[in-house]
Amino acid sequence: MTLTEQTSLSVTVGGVTRSLPTVRVGSVGRVPLVEFLGDSEFTNAAAEALLPLIPEGTEVLLTVVTNAVPLVHEISDRSGVPYVVARKKRRTYMQSPLIQDVPSMTMGVAETLWLDGPYADRLRGKRVTVVQDVIASGGTAQALGRFVERSGGTLAGYLAAFKQGESTLPLTYLQELPKSL
Amino acid sequence: MKVGATLGHVRMHKVEVGNVTRELPVVEVSPGVSVALFNMLGDTEVTEAAGRELAALLPADIDVLVTPEVKALSLAHVISRETGKPYIVIRKTEKPYMVEPVAREVISITTGKPQLLVLDGFDVPKVRGKKVAIVDDVVSSGGTLHSLRQIIEEVGGEVAAVVAVFTEGQERPEVTALGHLPLFS
Repeated sequence: MTLTEQTSLSVTVGGVTRSLPTVRVGSVGRVPLVEFLGDSEFTNAAAEALLPLIPEGTEVLLTVVTNAVPLVHEISDRSGVPYVVARKKRRTYMQSPLIQDVPSMTMGVAETLWLDGPYADRLRGKRVTVVQDVIASGGTAQALGRFVERSGGTLAGYLAAFKQGESTLPLTYLQELPKSL
Repeated sequence: MKVGATLGHVRMHKVEVGNVTRELPVVEVSPGVSVALFNMLGDTEVTEAAGRELAALLPADIDVLVTPEVKALSLAHVISRETGKPYIVIRKTEKPYMVEPVAREVISITTGKPQLLVLDGFDVPKVRGKKVAIVDDVVSSGGTLHSLRQIIEEVGGEVAAVVAVFTEGQERPEVTALGHLPLFS
C-alpha cells in the first residue's frame, strides 16, 4: 500500500474533526480506520462526548488492549469510574486468569482474551460496562461481556465511540462509520 | 514464577507516585530474582499522578513523545494532554495497514522471548529531525530502551530525554524517573 492510494473519510466528534485514512482490505473495499493512539485531542473529545452515554449505575468499565486504552483512561478520569483491561496474550505475572475465545473477523482466525485474576475480582458483584473504540462484528465485545458474567458481575451495557458493522448487540455509540467506501 | 505458592502471604513493596501510594506485589520472575510488579493499566489515579508529574519535568524543547505499547499508553496520553506535545506509539506487531514499517527485535526481561518493536512508516516524518522523549512505565534492563533508541535514530530522530515512572535494578542517570524499584533476592 502506498500513501497516495489512501482516500479518506471525515468525522467530527465534539468539535474535533479528523480525516480517517482508509485501507484496502481484501475484496471488501476501502475500510476507514479510527485511530485514537497518538491523538490525545481526539481521544479527549470522544471521552467527553461518551460521558453522558455511560449506562446508569455503571461501577466499572472493561476494555481490551490496545487502541481503546487511552480513551477508556480518559473516560475513567472524567467520570470517576475505574476501569479494567483484558489482554490478548497471556502475561507471566497473571494469577488464575480467565480465558475467553473470540471469533475474529479480521484474520478469520480465533483470538483469545485473557483477564488477570485480580482484575476479574474487581468485576465481582459490580455493574460493568464494556467499552471499545470501535465495535464491528461485536465478537470481541461479546467475549468481554462473558468475562463480566464469569467474574460474577452484571453487564450494564456496551459502549463504543464508533459502530462499524452489523453488530446486533444492544450498543450505545457516538457515530456509525461505513464498513467500506 | 511461583504465584500459587505465595498466594495469601504475598510480599509487598510500597511505592509513592506523586500523592498516590500503592502496595506492589513482589513476585519471582526467575530463580532467586523477584521484582515488584507495577502495572498502570487500569489504574487511573496513578496514571494521572505520574503523567502530570512527568509532564512538569519534561524539557521544554522536546518535539514529540514516543512510547512502546501497551502499559505506558495512557501515561503517554496524559503527558501529551498536559504538555500539548504529540505522542507516537511503537507497536509490538507489524500491522497490515502500516506503510514501510521500521522494526527492531529486543529480548524481553519479563518473558525471556524476543519481542518485536515496530514504527509505522507513516509516523517517520513526525520523528525525523525532531527532539524525542521516550516514555515508558519502568526502565529495567534497558533492552527496550536500547531498541527504541535504535529505531528513533535510524529514522533521523534525536533521543533528547527518557522519562519513566520507575527505574529498576541499576540506577540510570539518563532516565528522568519519579522513583526506583529494587530487585529482590
